[in-house]
Amino acid sequence: MGNILEVRDIHTFIGQFHILQGVSLEAAEGTITAILGRNGAGKTTTLKSILGLTPPRNGKVVFAGQEIQGRPAYEIAAMGIGYVPENRAIFTNLTVAENLKIAERKRGDLDRKANFIFGLFPDLKRLYRLPGGHLSGGQQQMLAIARALVPDNQLLLIDEPSEGLAPIIIQELMEAIRQLSERVTVLLVEQNFQMASRLAKNYVIIDDGRSVRSGAMEDLLRQPEIIRRYLGATI
Amino acid sequence: MLKQYRATLTFIAIVVFLISVGYAWLGPVRATSAVLSGLTLAALYFLLGAGLSLIFGLMDVLNFAHGIIFMIGAYIGYSLFGNPRLFTNTLPLILMVVAGALVGVYIGRPLRAWEARRRQLPADAPPLRIILSRIAPSVLLALLAVGLLFWGTRGFPLNRLIAFEPTATGGAVPTAQAQEPLSHMAVRLVGMMVAGLLLGPVLVREKRLEARGPFWKTLVVSLILSAVAAIVLWTRDPAERFMLGLSVDVRFVLALLAGAATGALLGVFIETVFIRSFYGRPVTQLVLTLGLMFIGVELVRAIWGKEGRPPMAVPSLFAESCRSPNLIAWLSERCSSIDVLGRAFPTYRLFIILIGLVILIGVWILLRYTRLGMIVRAGVQDSAMVEALGINVRRVFTLVFALGSALAALGGVVAAPFVGVYPDMGGAFQLQAFIAVVIGGMGSYIGTAVGAIILGLARAFGDVLVTGGIPLPWTEQVLRASPAIARASTVLIMAIVLLVRPAGIFGQKE
Repeated sequence: MGNILEVRDIHTFIGQFHILQGVSLEAAEGTITAILGRNGAGKTTTLKSILGLTPPRNGKVVFAGQEIQGRPAYEIAAMGIGYVPENRAIFTNLTVAENLKIAERKRGDLDRKANFIFGLFPDLKRLYRLPGGHLSGGQQQMLAIARALVPDNQLLLIDEPSEGLAPIIIQELMEAIRQLSERVTVLLVEQNFQMASRLAKNYVIIDDGRSVRSGAMEDLLRQPEIIRRYLGATI
Repeated sequence: MLKQYRATLTFIAIVVFLISVGYAWLGPVRATSAVLSGLTLAALYFLLGAGLSLIFGLMDVLNFAHGIIFMIGAYIGYSLFGNPRLFTNTLPLILMVVAGALVGVYIGRPLRAWEARRRQLPADAPPLRIILSRIAPSVLLALLAVGLLFWGTRGFPLNRLIAFEPTATGGAVPTAQAQEPLSHMAVRLVGMMVAGLLLGPVLVREKRLEARGPFWKTLVVSLILSAVAAIVLWTRDPAERFMLGLSVDVRFVLALLAGAATGALLGVFIETVFIRSFYGRPVTQLVLTLGLMFIGVELVRAIWGKEGRPPMAVPSLFAESCRSPNLIAWLSERCSSIDVLGRAFPTYRLFIILIGLVILIGVWILLRYTRLGMIVRAGVQDSAMVEALGINVRRVFTLVFALGSALAALGGVVAAPFVGVYPDMGGAFQLQAFIAVVIGGMGSYIGTAVGAIILGLARAFGDVLVTGGIPLPWTEQVLRASPAIARASTVLIMAIVLLVRPAGIFGQKE
């Protein structure tokens, strides 16, 4: 299987700040790739740079064989990239139904995907008519992921899904992400190394705005000193 | 439960308070007519405020140019209604500039690309070449174009075209020999076209230097515009006779449509040319829209004169000078006023209230039940996330700007038979609309309606205080406020509301 996404040496500035100073990564089709690193290392900016929300100044982003860097974010997203941001960013004054409906790119997207989505997150069916703001943190996270599944996306960028959630909800989300990864490639930013290591097949470590290591997750698990050095975590 | 409805309850409490105080002091007859007057004002404030609120909510732009659009809408509607000659003579000129500019922009792209390349000189280039490279050909083109624009409009009899005499029935007697002969006008048309052609390369954006779309498409659009210009000009006399021969009602509807359409076009123009480059830079936008406000006022003064004009004639449904006893009788009698508890109230003001109500419900349906509305509501909260879903949010921005501006311009035309038209009307109504939006909660649609109603009622009761005064209890004296206090009362209400709820009644806390 080839790579659906290849990021080659991108540099991103936010205002005067040189946030990404050379990030390269690839995501193999049909797998979960984890982006690891400390707080402030540039993981979120990497996702935003791929999508064009903070366009990279240099470097290349190749998605499904096409160079996409420099295009407007809505064009990039419409090519088939779903985004689940770290603050979830669901629309609190829209109902759950509207939150899903707004993500449609073709008429009837939601109807086609309804069984799959409600199979993953049965809660959402029950909450369908409620405003998004009335949902709990875990339910909002589920809605944010579900929203990214409505159109025919080939790649999902998921940022910190476990942040601020109870362990039992995290278990549920992990299971859902594992299931959806059978259909769509996932690029996952996750602070919770336990969760990331169990889900992802490959990894990239970003440190100080640079991608410093990448490879198969099972190899990383055999190198505890790397995990300690870059992630401050122990297995 | 109570928390959820606090905003609604606050609103009801304020309105009930205002009205009951009014009734207690004024008695039912005077209070009812004050309430109706207040709702008339509220409808106008709302038509302006809806756009302000939507534009602020979605794009975070405080649009001080909004009142200008209200005023220009009023002037366009007023002029079309009574003096079509003004349009048949000026519209072709404007169309020709646009037709020329379209082609000019297309041809201008390679020119600007060449210019950009020329500026990249080696560091050791001779000084003279550096100086020469800085004198951009586009600057020279701009000067030439402006010169041609002046030449082309030199001696254009605008003053005579404007100076028409409105008649009692809403018709007009344009000043004799106001029009130039067709041959003169034809020369002007050519001048405008060439000016547009020269202006085109200046309007090219540095970021979009590559050619877009086939040339013939641009050419066809340009030719169509030129043809329309020529047809309008050569049919100007029969068109004028036809227009003035139409009934007052048809012309009124045409004025409404033309005003709203002009507003929408102006909105698109302002958003794409001025605002778009400055999203996320609030101070720049503020200065920019303030500047546009001054330019707009002076432009209107230059074209239509410093003096205002008396109220426009009303449609025939409100024209007969009599007083109908009730609404049903009014429909057959078509009286200009109606009996409300023994007092006369102008029926046209009821029509203004109706228009406000129709727009309120119409836009609410648009926001609540259409995909565009859903995108707008989502965008008010987080426009970056909307874009990340694959939606071209910039296009939605332009659309909402056009919609808001169209509503403001429509409000201007509706207001013209009520308050007349004058160069300061934009600023006056915009200030009140801003206060209404702030009271209701910036960015909240329902909040804007609520703020407009509160403000309208306050203004109306304030006016009663000024003109009639209120008999004080237990004494023979009458409390009479000065006009300044009545005007200040709206600001006072805003201060009180903001002290209690800093985000406005329906505002979301950030």
